[in-house]
Amino acid sequence: MKRLLLILALVILAAGVVVGAGKTIVYGTTEKMTNLDPAEAYDFHTWEIFYNVYQGLLNYTPGTTQIVPGMAESYSANPAGDEFTFKLRKGVKFTDGSPFNAQAVKWSIERVMTLAGQPSWLVTDYVDSVSVVDDYTVKFKLKFPCAYFHTVVATPPYYPVSPNIYPADKIIWDPAEMAGGQLVGLGAYKLVSFKRDEEVILETNPSYWGKKPAVDRVVIRYYADATTLRLALEKGEVDIAFKTLNPSDIKDLAANKKYTTYKLPGPQIRYLCFETSESVFQNKLLRRAVAALINRPDIIQKVYLGQNSPLYSMVPNGMIYHSDDFKTVMGDGNVALADKLLAQAGFSAAKPFQFDLWYTPSHYGDPEVNMAEVLKVQLEKSKAIKVTLQSAEWAAYKEKWKHKEMPVFFLGWYPDYLDPDNYTAAFAGTSGSAGMGIYFSNPDWDALFVKEQSNADPKVRESVFKEIQKRWTDEVPTAPIWQGDLYVFTKPSVKGIKIGPTLQFLYSELSMQ
Amino acid sequence: MASPMTPPKAAGTRFSVAGGLARLLARFSAAHRKYGVEWWILITGAALILFAIYMASFPATLARYDPLDQEAGPQMATPSRAHPMGTDNLSRDVLSRMIHGSRTILGVAFAAAILSSLIGIPLGLLSGFAGGPLDRVLSLVMDSIYSFPGLILAIAFAAMLGPGVVNITLSVAVIYIPTYFRLVRGQTLSIKEELYVEAARAIGAPRRTILGRYIFPNVIATVVVVFSLNIADAIMTEAALSYIGLGLPAGIPDWGMDLSMGKKFLPSGVWWMITFPGAMISLLALGFTMLGEGLSEILNPRLLEK
Amino acid sequence: MKNLLRYALTRILLTIPMLWILLTLVFVVLRIMPGDPVSAMLGGHAPERVIEQKKEELGLNRPILAQYFDYLGDLARLDLGNSMIYNQKVSQPLLQKLPATLELTMVGMAFTMLIGIPLGAYAASRRRTGRDFSIRLFGNVAYCIPVFWMGLMLQLVFGIWLDLLPIAGRTGPRVFVKDFQNTGFYLLDTLLAGQWASFADVALHLLLPSLTLGIVLSGIFIRLTRANMLDTLKADYVLAARARGIPERRVVYGHALKNAFIPVLTMLGLQFAALLAGAILTETTFSWPGMGRLLVERIYLRDYPTIQGVIVVFAFFVSLVSLAVDLIYALIDPRVRY
Repeated sequence: MKRLLLILALVILAAGVVVGAGKTIVYGTTEKMTNLDPAEAYDFHTWEIFYNVYQGLLNYTPGTTQIVPGMAESYSANPAGDEFTFKLRKGVKFTDGSPFNAQAVKWSIERVMTLAGQPSWLVTDYVDSVSVVDDYTVKFKLKFPCAYFHTVVATPPYYPVSPNIYPADKIIWDPAEMAGGQLVGLGAYKLVSFKRDEEVILETNPSYWGKKPAVDRVVIRYYADATTLRLALEKGEVDIAFKTLNPSDIKDLAANKKYTTYKLPGPQIRYLCFETSESVFQNKLLRRAVAALINRPDIIQKVYLGQNSPLYSMVPNGMIYHSDDFKTVMGDGNVALADKLLAQAGFSAAKPFQFDLWYTPSHYGDPEVNMAEVLKVQLEKSKAIKVTLQSAEWAAYKEKWKHKEMPVFFLGWYPDYLDPDNYTAAFAGTSGSAGMGIYFSNPDWDALFVKEQSNADPKVRESVFKEIQKRWTDEVPTAPIWQGDLYVFTKPSVKGIKIGPTLQFLYSELSMQ
Repeated sequence: MASPMTPPKAAGTRFSVAGGLARLLARFSAAHRKYGVEWWILITGAALILFAIYMASFPATLARYDPLDQEAGPQMATPSRAHPMGTDNLSRDVLSRMIHGSRTILGVAFAAAILSSLIGIPLGLLSGFAGGPLDRVLSLVMDSIYSFPGLILAIAFAAMLGPGVVNITLSVAVIYIPTYFRLVRGQTLSIKEELYVEAARAIGAPRRTILGRYIFPNVIATVVVVFSLNIADAIMTEAALSYIGLGLPAGIPDWGMDLSMGKKFLPSGVWWMITFPGAMISLLALGFTMLGEGLSEILNPRLLEK
Repeated sequence: MKNLLRYALTRILLTIPMLWILLTLVFVVLRIMPGDPVSAMLGGHAPERVIEQKKEELGLNRPILAQYFDYLGDLARLDLGNSMIYNQKVSQPLLQKLPATLELTMVGMAFTMLIGIPLGAYAASRRRTGRDFSIRLFGNVAYCIPVFWMGLMLQLVFGIWLDLLPIAGRTGPRVFVKDFQNTGFYLLDTLLAGQWASFADVALHLLLPSLTLGIVLSGIFIRLTRANMLDTLKADYVLAARARGIPERRVVYGHALKNAFIPVLTMLGLQFAALLAGAILTETTFSWPGMGRLLVERIYLRDYPTIQGVIVVFAFFVSLVSLAVDLIYALIDPRVRY
């Protein structure tokens, strides 16, 4: 029976190869595509598709964090640092023939501001107004001098869309809602088919101004969970498997010579958040004690089978101004230090410090509960601590942190833009901190953040961030744990996988042999 | 759920609970001679349950390791002398987790069964006895809930209430209330018509006495059987809820959760993380089912049909 | 006949209040869910006014009673509302996934009957022998095995160790659904499109999940068939048939089983609820894209309209089947009347 099936499968495969013209790559993932509008989508998978279908004013060199011109050939900032002028590429048209020019850019930005979708703050927090200087020059007036604005401009909410195709007052969830029923931007591919949670098909964009990609068709298939994706890869159903596989699956697949394994540094970080204004963790001694007890290599080995990297600062490894302060100050599993701090706070084995540790079971993937279990054991190595694990599904979890119901909880972060500011101010600046349920507020810190945001001089920024990271080990609004590595598995015939910390996966770089 | 229950046919006059119990015991010894196999089914079921109760009450005497100990052995080791059921992905001894986990599942199942009987039985008595519009309305409500797949209701409740032992117990308890209601109501209706009840009413016995002295003791026998079968069902429901992820937070060993965790390692060939939790659930449910079935055969003899 | 009609009418009318009770129960349970679904849906950065606006749109600011009547009104118009998480009508994913669940359930039911009825009949014919007891034991044990564990064990044995059968999804490598998509019942669709290879693929994917359901629920059928067969085998006509020298096998399977069959058929209807519950767990285990898995996924996302929609559809089906069963039973058994 099995042989018969094999023969049947081979026949079908052969038929498929003969009939299908051009190269097609099947890419499997467990992520979900949410909606098709740069003004609303705020998840990495949808942004990944946008990187391929749209183009920003600025891009990244594939696989790196280096900013290069995109739809804008060049840009400049005024001395005050609060006005950015972009010179646009000439002679490019949208698919419907309408020209790409400064008016289109202005229209797109204002659309994002009006629609007030989830990622709109990336525009509205920074941009005061957009003005057309001439047909190919556009000027952004910012609300405050921003040293890293160029990284912000590279995010999807800033991507120009055609005024003729996109409605000014509505968010697009489905390509069927658009004229022509297809999603076309200025990128290398266009989206031709969309079946939510099942399959998305991209084909090369004939109007693309750049080099034509080697792969004509990309089929993205959505799988329900890691196990199904792994099985799909093993049965040959997909050519590429990316996000998100279980650690045991990664281990098995990496050991299997049938697949090419790519291990890439990723931008995701995981950490503990403390509610610092009203909970038991108001006392920073207790926060430091808990942070000191975290044993990062142990967690990574037990839960992730060694597949991630320990993180000793909120600024990720590999990013500018990173410094391993938590390692130098506390180290891992420092029971002696923790006991000392707990004693100072008045706790001991006779009178232990009891608290609830919260996690969310499915939002960050299956191993989350294991990480909580392992951390509990690590924390209780100090006899003066008693931990009770609690969990809530993501929706309830967000509610709880908003209402200060969780004294300490796990959280993860994917950056919006690639700058240390996004990894620090978002948690310890007064406004950002409240949004994350940490409620940390310190005017000195706020002043430091303003200094690095407004000052473009790298030396100034470096000294500020070094100071902030140092202070982080003292106040500990959050305790970093690990940084994620990205694993991509492909058939050996697939080449051109270049995914950088920006998580920009450009399909136009792919090729099949 | 259970097979349809018929009220005791050979009903003599039973005037006290003690008398009823005495009769039960007499039946038991008679049963041993009459029902070879059924007797053994009852005994096996009882033995399984007693062992499970012992395991749940004194797990430390049986388990060699702390179920939460993450350094019990090598990570994901196959079953061996040191770890008869292997170790899981956090290096915890699976056998110890099985033993300690019995407390959770048994506790929830018992508590849920008690809770639903405490609500369902009085309602059933009341409804059957009082009759009239109250009976019709209650029956309608209970029938509606009864006909609906219980698991779906339990899922909705558990999702609404969130994780936690109390919440899970409540979610599981809710779906069995109609079972007790229907059973007791049916019994009440038929016993209500019996001559001795009429006689009691004729001599002016207050309703409370009639309910308490005549109807209730006769209902007990079938309730006990259903209770046992109910616990079996509650065990399966609790396991299903944990499996889906609506159960308890981590930190309490739970068979359903271990199953759902073990599932992720299945493609890697790790079979011991799912085989044992599932086997334990089945065994425990089987124990209660056998007890219930055995009791049912003995208390409701169907000589002619066997 | 008039009696039957009166019964039928009463029974049909009764379905309405029963359905209404279930729908109210669903509404009550879901409205009390903790966690503001709107702010959860819109994400951490959303400004207050946007959250309020969304709540207005969804009618969540109105008094609870008004919301309840809205809900009932919408249902009467068969409008299940819009998903809160994705901008789609609830009916869209529901209609897409309903055939998957129904196909699984029906094939599962087929297996239940295929396993349970012959075994039950055989046990009855060999009553009180070793075979009878082992069959009854099997039935009891099967019933006590959690359906998801049975699924996992079958996956382990046939999917991982023996690598014979697929263990996830409805279709396999390079089988493109759009080539035969029609009713949503893939067994039917592939046949209609004449694609034999796809038919084989779909059937193989259906095998393990429906077998799981079939085995676990067969226990009840074994017992019921056996009991009914025992009754039937005592009947006079059976005695007469035996006296006439008709071979035992024909007596049991030809005559007795046919008559024992009808109550079993009605039992099928009553087991439908158990089948649906089992289907939810089976779908989760086999990553089957049906309504059960949709329910579980949307519960995590707190997408109440979809959760509500799925439960309402289940309630509707259960009521329908229960009604059909009662009517058929009434047709057959003249004793059943109001």
